[in-house]
Amino acid sequence: MLDLFWVEFKRSWLYLRRYPSEFVGAVVTLSILFLLLFLGARFLAGPSAEFGERTEALLAGFLLWTLTLFSYSSLSFGLSEEAQTGTLEQVFLTPYGPIPLLLVRNLAGLGTQLLLMGSIALVLLLITGARLSFTPLLLLPITTVLLGGYGLGFAMASLALLFKRVQQLLGISQFLLIFLLQYPLESSGWLAKLGYFMPLVPGADLTRQMMVKEAALDWNLLGLALINGLAYLALGIVVFSRAVQAAKRRGLLFGY
Amino acid sequence: MTAVLEATGLHKRFGKLVAVEEVSLHLAPGEVLAFLGPNGAGKTTTIKMLAGLLFPDQGQVRLMGKDPHRDPWALRHLGAVLEGNRNVYWRMTAQENLVYFGVARGLRFAEASRRAQNILEQLGLVEKSRTEVRHLSRGMQQKLSLGVALMHHPELLLLDEPTLGLDVESALRVEEMVRGLAREGKAILLTTHQLEVAQRLASRLAIIQRGKILLEGRTAEVLGRFAGEHYVVELETPPPLPPERLASLRALGLEGEGPSYVYHGDGEGLWRLLEALKPWPLKKVARAETDLLEVFLKVVGRA
Repeated sequence: MLDLFWVEFKRSWLYLRRYPSEFVGAVVTLSILFLLLFLGARFLAGPSAEFGERTEALLAGFLLWTLTLFSYSSLSFGLSEEAQTGTLEQVFLTPYGPIPLLLVRNLAGLGTQLLLMGSIALVLLLITGARLSFTPLLLLPITTVLLGGYGLGFAMASLALLFKRVQQLLGISQFLLIFLLQYPLESSGWLAKLGYFMPLVPGADLTRQMMVKEAALDWNLLGLALINGLAYLALGIVVFSRAVQAAKRRGLLFGY
Repeated sequence: MTAVLEATGLHKRFGKLVAVEEVSLHLAPGEVLAFLGPNGAGKTTTIKMLAGLLFPDQGQVRLMGKDPHRDPWALRHLGAVLEGNRNVYWRMTAQENLVYFGVARGLRFAEASRRAQNILEQLGLVEKSRTEVRHLSRGMQQKLSLGVALMHHPELLLLDEPTLGLDVESALRVEEMVRGLAREGKAILLTTHQLEVAQRLASRLAIIQRGKILLEGRTAEVLGRFAGEHYVVELETPPPLPPERLASLRALGLEGEGPSYVYHGDGEGLWRLLEALKPWPLKKVARAETDLLEVFLKVVGRA
């Protein structure tokens, strides 16, 4: 498995090194998108007035959204692309099985994703003059968000496997992630409680608190966020496993 | 001999379409089986079932005794070049593809790197090892796909149109490789529309149409069986056969126009014909040879 991780890691860096224009394009596009969102911040910052009024809150949410976006959509895009280019079946011929291979692929691609998020953060911090707190402990809540993101990614990849063309759905659903990442967990009432059960929400809330308010790591919330992330990852994998079985029954692994 | 591949009673239906019906195939080490059929006959569906990419509705597949549909490690015994697919990543070089897929098939990284070098040498791709696949010619890409399939030393190779689109030299090189692999003991299932390639390579053949296997047997025996129905009888010229003599010979089964005639019938009938021809000078009497194209057309046409 370590060797598999290594070749997947090399593969993601090779793509980055060989096609830097795609990386630069992503940084530029996402930075412009943020600036557009920034202009309409009051409207898009969500129901929380406390965060909506602050550039830092919006930026933290946006960076988290960027990272989640890649963890969520890379699998579906990857599978659709492989189905189109004709390498999907070779991927499914691995004795490791497709799910372990794709999990390793996700993990190996994390480096390039973090680099992308870091680059966007640098560009936007310079442009907006905002200040964000980045402590090493921040990696813990971000990891829980990523786990949930990968879980949702597996669920979406199931649709990609069964229905092939999910780009439209993927495009729309990406904006639903904003809702989850900006969910007002700190408010009172049943809505807040519901948030603990929704994907990404506890981890995203903790990350925002740490990045914007420079709050200390809330270990209890981190525990809940970890359980939430792992639960959604497991759910996503179960759904994807069922989709693979269905695709193999219906002959959907080949032909696009 | 232990079978490398044992597929029994495979059925597959897509909606109302019966794609494959009661297909059984087996392959022993060192055998090359040409799996032939017209487009839409069920070849690809069968191959996908053998490779664990498509569940059969009924029947079972065993690769070295393991079920690829239940035990993914059974796929360690299988290498495949699937037709119509690129099979390799275009943004990676030939060498990177070989190493990546070698590891993805279960090799350690160091072993995959060594093996990749050997394969590149075998395929004559050393000079292109650092070229991205998208810059390689179609023939080179095809050879690389074969190399990827060979990386992890599989006992069974599924080769779907391995010489399609190759120039003559590359095609001959791939053919020679296939022969060499069979000599090494690999079992090879080959599908191709190039019947002359199949005839040159295959020790056995199976013809499928409308999802059913119509004919299966050793290549030499099948060709012999189909050719055995007629003989070529060639006479020295001149003199030509007089019409009344020719009429009596035709009654014994002689066909065609001289000096080269065809006799349809068994050996005893041939002796009667030769007796009747005496003392006319003969140039040649030989069992007519047939080729796989003729067999294929007869089998498929008859169905």
